[in-house]
Amino acid sequence: MKKYSILFVVIAILLIAAPAYAQAPGGAPAGRPWSVALGVGLGMGLAAGLAGLGQGKVAGSVAEALARNPGARPGIQLALFIGLAFIESLVLFTFVLLFIRT
Amino acid sequence: MATELWFTEVVNKALGPATTAVLEKLGIHPAHPGSPINDAVAMEILVVLLLILFFLAVRATLSVDKPSSLQHLVEIGQGFVEEQARGVIGHHYERYIPYAMTVGFFILLSNLLGLVPGFESPTANPSVPLGCAVLTFIYYHYHGIRHHGAHYYKQFVGPVWALAPLMVLIEVVSHLARILSLTVRLYANMFAGDLVTMAFFSLVPVVVPVIFLGLHLGVALVQTFIFVMLTLVYLGLAVSEEH
Repeated sequence: MKKYSILFVVIAILLIAAPAYAQAPGGAPAGRPWSVALGVGLGMGLAAGLAGLGQGKVAGSVAEALARNPGARPGIQLALFIGLAFIESLVLFTFVLLFIRT
Repeated sequence: MATELWFTEVVNKALGPATTAVLEKLGIHPAHPGSPINDAVAMEILVVLLLILFFLAVRATLSVDKPSSLQHLVEIGQGFVEEQARGVIGHHYERYIPYAMTVGFFILLSNLLGLVPGFESPTANPSVPLGCAVLTFIYYHYHGIRHHGAHYYKQFVGPVWALAPLMVLIEVVSHLARILSLTVRLYANMFAGDLVTMAFFSLVPVVVPVIFLGLHLGVALVQTFIFVMLTLVYLGLAVSEEH
């Protein structure tokens, strides 16, 4: 039984990742200056890191609020999800921009 | 096209020539006349078919005395959306539940379809979330106008007349930014999820990517929730009594 489960896991992974086979071997495509890779890495890192700081503050405040008043859970959760979504969307804007510009 | 999913091929076999003919009549020349329907549209068609089948199955087994498991599932979803809508919109929230549920089910199934081998998320293509976002935009403005009539413009000019030109500009930009943010949030989340799974697959091809598939499942659910929630929030703002 266990053998079969491992087999199925492997088959599932291989099926999902069909496009991975299409990936060309080798690193960055030729004809692109090295500064692009540097800029993309720095930009994405900055965006993700700063958003991480912001989201950490949100999550910390939510934990504090829930500890003070567990009864207010629905309203707090609503504010949590919407706040996180707006912070996260800034990172995603960066991500999409980097993807378009490279 | 070199690579297309098997369902896209089926759809193209059935509808491809007719679609190409219609597009040519409209003056649009598809890039691949042999297969004008791309993966995202084919997956959308699949999602719609699945949803119709699902709701037919639910409708056929509706019962007050002995609710089936499907009915329970739908009632849980409906109760959840209704509870959120009551908190966000307030009075007369019932009118907006059908739209929120429809968009929610469509996006949820679209997101989850990407986890099934041999299919991909239509929402990982920017046009599909854009369609949902534009529909939401039109819907809440329609209800704002229906609810407030000619007084709807007051939401845009603000309380002070002298500042009205500035406020109108800011409001117009912020309403258009809602379309952008709804679209990009959904699209980029689904796209980035696939990308991360791919990246880890190329590092460690066994077991590890499954963790990221699990993460992707969570993201799919959360993004559906966010989209429905924001739709309700925008509706609530559009139909609110005082601004």
